[in-house]
Amino acid sequence: MNTAVVKGPPATGYSLAFASPLAAFFVLFFLAPLLLLIVISFYATPDLKSFGLDQYIKIATDGFTLPVLADTLWLGVQTTLLCLVLGYALAWSYVRSPRTMQKVLMLIIVMPLLTSVVVRTFAWVVILGRQGIVNSMLMEMGWISGPLKLLYTRGGLIVALANVQLPLMALPLITALQKLDPNLEDASSALGASALRTFVRITLPLTLPGILAGCLLTFAASITAFISQSLIGGGQMLFMPMYIYQQASSLQNWPFAAAISLVFLIAVMACVALFNALGRLSRGHIAD
Amino acid sequence: MQLTRRHLLGSALTLSAMELFPGISHAQARKLVFATFTGSWEEAHRDVLVPAFKKASGQDMLLDAMLSVDQIAKVSAARTNPPIDVMLHDPGPALVAIGQDLVEPFPVAASKNYKDLIPEAQDPMGPSMFFQVVGITYNPETVKTPPTSWADLWKPEYKGRVGITNLNSTLGTGFLVEVARMHGGNEGNVEEGFKAIEKLKPNLAAVAANPGALAALFQQGQVDISPGNFNAIQILKTRGVPVEFVAPKEGAIAFKTSIHIVKNSPNKALAAQLIDVALSPEVQGKLMRSPYLVVPTNGKVRMEGEIAKVLAKDTAEMKKKFVFQDWKKINEHRSAWIDRFNREIKL
Repeated sequence: MNTAVVKGPPATGYSLAFASPLAAFFVLFFLAPLLLLIVISFYATPDLKSFGLDQYIKIATDGFTLPVLADTLWLGVQTTLLCLVLGYALAWSYVRSPRTMQKVLMLIIVMPLLTSVVVRTFAWVVILGRQGIVNSMLMEMGWISGPLKLLYTRGGLIVALANVQLPLMALPLITALQKLDPNLEDASSALGASALRTFVRITLPLTLPGILAGCLLTFAASITAFISQSLIGGGQMLFMPMYIYQQASSLQNWPFAAAISLVFLIAVMACVALFNALGRLSRGHIAD
Repeated sequence: MQLTRRHLLGSALTLSAMELFPGISHAQARKLVFATFTGSWEEAHRDVLVPAFKKASGQDMLLDAMLSVDQIAKVSAARTNPPIDVMLHDPGPALVAIGQDLVEPFPVAASKNYKDLIPEAQDPMGPSMFFQVVGITYNPETVKTPPTSWADLWKPEYKGRVGITNLNSTLGTGFLVEVARMHGGNEGNVEEGFKAIEKLKPNLAAVAANPGALAALFQQGQVDISPGNFNAIQILKTRGVPVEFVAPKEGAIAFKTSIHIVKNSPNKALAAQLIDVALSPEVQGKLMRSPYLVVPTNGKVRMEGEIAKVLAKDTAEMKKKFVFQDWKKINEHRSAWIDRFNREIKL
C-alpha cells in the first residue's frame, strides 16, 4: 500500500458536516428552550420583575416539593420493578417460542406502542372501575361481596403504568436474550448447575445490559406519564408532572414551575447517571 | 448578478419558505382566530357562532379550542404579535388576563347588543357571552331521592360514592367557596370549607383531576353524586348516561364566561364584530336550545326548553336562583388554597 491511494477528505470529516442540521435543530428546539427555562427559574416573583434565588429556597424549605419529587421517583422504581418481572417473563417466552409463535408475540408486544396513551389509559379506567372487568369477575365468582376500590389507588396506577410501558422493557430484553449463546446454559447444566443457579450465574449477568436499558426507558417514561398519572391516580395523588402543570397553567407561576421542572430534570439525570454507572460495572463483570 | 447554483438554491428556498409560511410576509392578513373552550363549547360555537359571523361580516374565521389558562399562556408569550384575536374566559382567568394587560376594552358605544345584556354580564373589559351553572349532578338510578342541598353530599348513605375535582378548575374552586359559605365563611376565608371537605373524605370515591375526568366517572359508575356543570351533564345525557342535574336550594353557583379582544390583535374591528354577534339574541337564542343548552346573558332572549325547566324561567328568576362569587377575592388566595389542597386532601 502506498499513500497516493488516499484521496479527498477523510470520511470522518463528512460525518461532522452531515450532523450539523441535527445540531442546529437541537440548539434551536432543545438548548434554547432549556436556557430560557433556567433563566425564568431565577425570577423572584410570578410577574417576572426581579431576579433572585427565591424559587429554589422555596423548594428547599417548603417541605412539600421534595416529598412529591421523592414519591414520583419511588413510583418510577415500583413500576420499573413490576415491568422487569413481567417483561423478563415475556422476553423469555418470546425467545423460547417457535418462529411462527414469535411473530404473533412480537405483534402483541408492539401493539400497545401503536395505540394512543390516552386510549390505553381510558381502557384501564374501564378495567379497574367499580363495574369494571376485574370487579365484576370477582363478584360473579363470589370472592367479594362489594366492588373493590381499584381505580384511583396507587396499586391500580402502578399496574396500568406497567402495562403502558411494558414494550419499552420487553424489547431490549428480547435483544439481550437473543444474543445469549444457548451453549453457555447447556454447558452450565452439564457441569451440574441447577436451573436456578444457571439463571442467576449465567443468564442474568449476561443480559444485564438489556435489563439496564429496559429499566432506564421504563423508569423515565413512567415518572413523566402525565396522562396516566392524572387519569388513573386522580386529583388527590400529586406527582411532579401534574405539580408542574398546576403551577405553570392554573396559577401562571412560571418561575416556580420552571424551578421545579429543573429540579425534576436534575433528579432524573442523576438516576440516569446511576444506571449508566451500573452498566459500566456490569461490563467489567462480564469481561472477568 | 452572477447566477450560481448557490444563488438559485437560496432564492428557491426563500420563495418556498414564503409560500409555506405566509405569516412571515403577510402578518396582517390572517383570518380572525377565536380561542373557544374544548368539547361541547367548540361544537356549539362551530355550529352556531361561525356561520352567524360569516353572515354578518362576509369573512371566514378560525376556532382554536383550548383551556383559558392555555390561552393566557399563548398570548402572554407573544404579546406583540398574538396568535389569537378573541379569548374566552372563566372569571378567574379573565381577571388574570386583564391584570396582565392582555386585553383591549370592547367598544361598547359601537355595539348593538351590549345594552341588552343583563347588568351582571356587562363589563367593557369583556362582556359575558354565557353563564356556566354549577349544581348537583347525580345518578337517578342509584340516588332514589333527588338531592336538594349541597349538604346532601355529606349524607352517610353516599359513603364512597361522591366525586369532586381538585382546585385546578373553576368548578373545584367554586365548590370550595360555596361549601365555606354554607358554614359561615366567604371568598376571603375558606377555613370552614377545608374542614367540611375533610369531613367529606369518607364519602369521597374520587378527586378527579379535571371536570372532564369527573364526567367520565359517572359513565363508569365510579361516582353517583358530585358537584357538576349543567352543560357537562347535558352531553352525558344525550349519550345515554343516567345523570340528572339539580340546582341546590342554597342557589346554583353561576359564573360568567366573558369574551375579550386580545391586545395588539391585527383584527380588532372583526374581533369586536364577532363579540357583538356572540351577544346577539339570535345567536344566544339558538345556543340556548337543544342540544347546546347554553345559558344566555342577553335579557331579550326568552328562556325556554330544558333551561326554563331546570334552571330559571326568566332573567329575574335566574338572578334570584344563581349565586355569583367574587373572583377578584378568590384569585388573591387561590394559589395558597391549591397548595393547601395538595397537602391536605389525600385519600
